[in-house]
Amino acid sequence: MVNERESLFRRLSAACGDHGTAAEEPLPGGPSAAPEGDRVARFAEMFTAAGGFLLRGPVETALSDLGEMLRAEGVTALFFPEDDAAAREIAEALVPFGPFLLTTGAEVRGESAAVTAGFRAAEAAIAETGTIVETSAGGKSLLPGLIADVHVSIVPAASVVDRMEEALAVFTADPPRNISFLSGPSKTADIEQTLTVGAHGPKKAIALLLPT
Amino acid sequence: MELNANAFGRSARKALLDKTLQEALGRTTGRFLDHRDAAVAAFPEFEATRERASRIKRDVLDHLDTYLARFVEEAEKRGTIVHVARDAAQAREIAARIARDEGVALAVKSKSMASEEISFNEALQEAGVTVVESDLGEFIIQLAGEAPSHIIAPAVHKTREQISRLFERHLGEPRTDNIPELVGMARRHLRAKFLSAGMGVSGGNFLVADTGSVVLVTNEGNGRMGAVLPRVHLAVVGIEKVIPRMADLATFLRLLPRSASGQTISSYVSIVTGTRRAGDPEGPERMHILLLDCGRSAILEGKYREILKCVRCAACLNVCPVYQSVGGHAYGWVYSGPIGAVLTPLLVGLPEAVALPDASTLCGACADVCPVKIPLPDFLLELRSDAREQGLKTPGEIAAMKGYAGVMKRAGLLEAIERIAGVLGQFFTKGKGIGGLPYPFSGWTERRDFPAPASLPFRKHWKIKRGPRG
Repeated sequence: MVNERESLFRRLSAACGDHGTAAEEPLPGGPSAAPEGDRVARFAEMFTAAGGFLLRGPVETALSDLGEMLRAEGVTALFFPEDDAAAREIAEALVPFGPFLLTTGAEVRGESAAVTAGFRAAEAAIAETGTIVETSAGGKSLLPGLIADVHVSIVPAASVVDRMEEALAVFTADPPRNISFLSGPSKTADIEQTLTVGAHGPKKAIALLLPT
Repeated sequence: MELNANAFGRSARKALLDKTLQEALGRTTGRFLDHRDAAVAAFPEFEATRERASRIKRDVLDHLDTYLARFVEEAEKRGTIVHVARDAAQAREIAARIARDEGVALAVKSKSMASEEISFNEALQEAGVTVVESDLGEFIIQLAGEAPSHIIAPAVHKTREQISRLFERHLGEPRTDNIPELVGMARRHLRAKFLSAGMGVSGGNFLVADTGSVVLVTNEGNGRMGAVLPRVHLAVVGIEKVIPRMADLATFLRLLPRSASGQTISSYVSIVTGTRRAGDPEGPERMHILLLDCGRSAILEGKYREILKCVRCAACLNVCPVYQSVGGHAYGWVYSGPIGAVLTPLLVGLPEAVALPDASTLCGACADVCPVKIPLPDFLLELRSDAREQGLKTPGEIAAMKGYAGVMKRAGLLEAIERIAGVLGQFFTKGKGIGGLPYPFSGWTERRDFPAPASLPFRKHWKIKRGPRG
């Protein structure tokens, strides 16, 4: 039997011809320097433009706004990964604004009637695109941003970077299995080009920006 | 997918008479275009980014052997099982074997044009595996038993009434004309599939060589669900999708969503690398990548190499006057619009799709919007000339083109013909065009109208405007 892989690479080598060696370094012409101004403000602007809701300011006010927002969405359960201390802290602080049930997730995976808000600490946020970065590095769970009806990302202001390159550079040497860029809610326009949220993922994407 | 490209003329006529389709096409392409133009205008670095992306892709194609080898090595290092398929039949066989060996009964799939090339769903179904499309548009047309008609909006030709009827018949849902309700029905139905499927199937927008990662770009979030929840993930990807390094990904992410839908970025970009690591609470235990050649290495060897730079954004579809008029199905295979008119003949063989390079006005709009600067109009012309060299043009067409060239080179002759045509033309003119000309001109007018000759030819008009020379 022919080894298909060897045969493919033989075909490719013949087809490529001689064009010198592949570029050793990234090609020049990357993005110009980040724009002037406040990168956290830029993140806020772009995240909102992507359809996300940003809460910032004094933590007490932000929490009460968040509680109100979750109630308005009909949320009944707050769900956070077992080992995510920041997510747990915020979820617990929201209980007085409830009634909310607290859960660490196992039952959320099944088909439950609960309307869930999934909490997670974000690893980074990108000002350029209004993106929140969540990964599985260190065994962290992606479920809060994947299957919950509402997703709440906890974003320390110090974790906001200007450009996508900066966020990606962290993972180049040893990427975790999953790196997720989240920019606003799950969207579809597949029916009559009408923008609708909540196709598969969260219907609402909320970022809670914590002062450093 | 069944190939029907040479029926373009007939299919196009049908599409032009389909009122629902015509409305949907106008709405969709116009909207995508407006959003794209606004996004590009708001991004001053677009041109520079486009140039960089084009150069990166050229470097990749010039050294595809090197970059693909690097990708395979890095992917395997992280637990991914890499398969290689020379053609569609082999790819189907491998896909069915993977599903069988993994003991999969249900697979959820996110949108992948490459998988359409190999008729992936049929292959798995023949092996006894149920495949459910999870992209909403693909899900709808799967229920309808149809083929996608737009790369990023596959169900553009369906109305909400038609969709509600499908959901009633296949999902037992009550009728509604409320779009969010329809989306909610699909969400509930597909969520249950995601949670019970043994395998998630995806395409791949990019393969990152220096990390062995597959990158999925979606707005709905179905791609990452299939890549994270089931115990097996299979990505079916063309070999040309490699980019050199993670650092280059940002360049392409600045172009793809802007060009496709006018978004700064899509809702979700998922970069998946290998299998779940020890201690990870989710992620697949087994990760397969099926790399498709399926004609690509042959393209790489020839003068159309740059067509392999395509990132499948569909901007060239939206801007194309022919696509805007006839939609995707008329192109008779997986890819439509200008990219389809070039790529299909190259992938399936020119004789099988010789009608497609003619399905263009050569207006050049596709080249203007292409985010990786593929010279689509040049390729369309080149394919027409290949068709002639391979004896795929009729003697009538060749004679007509020779005659046209002869006339256009001689001003006096052109003037005489213009005068005669001005008189004769009125007998054949209907509306703004001439149709129903006698043989041999019928070869042209059977499928298109010829513009009616102006009462005052342009050259005369020009003389009068400009006044006597000197």
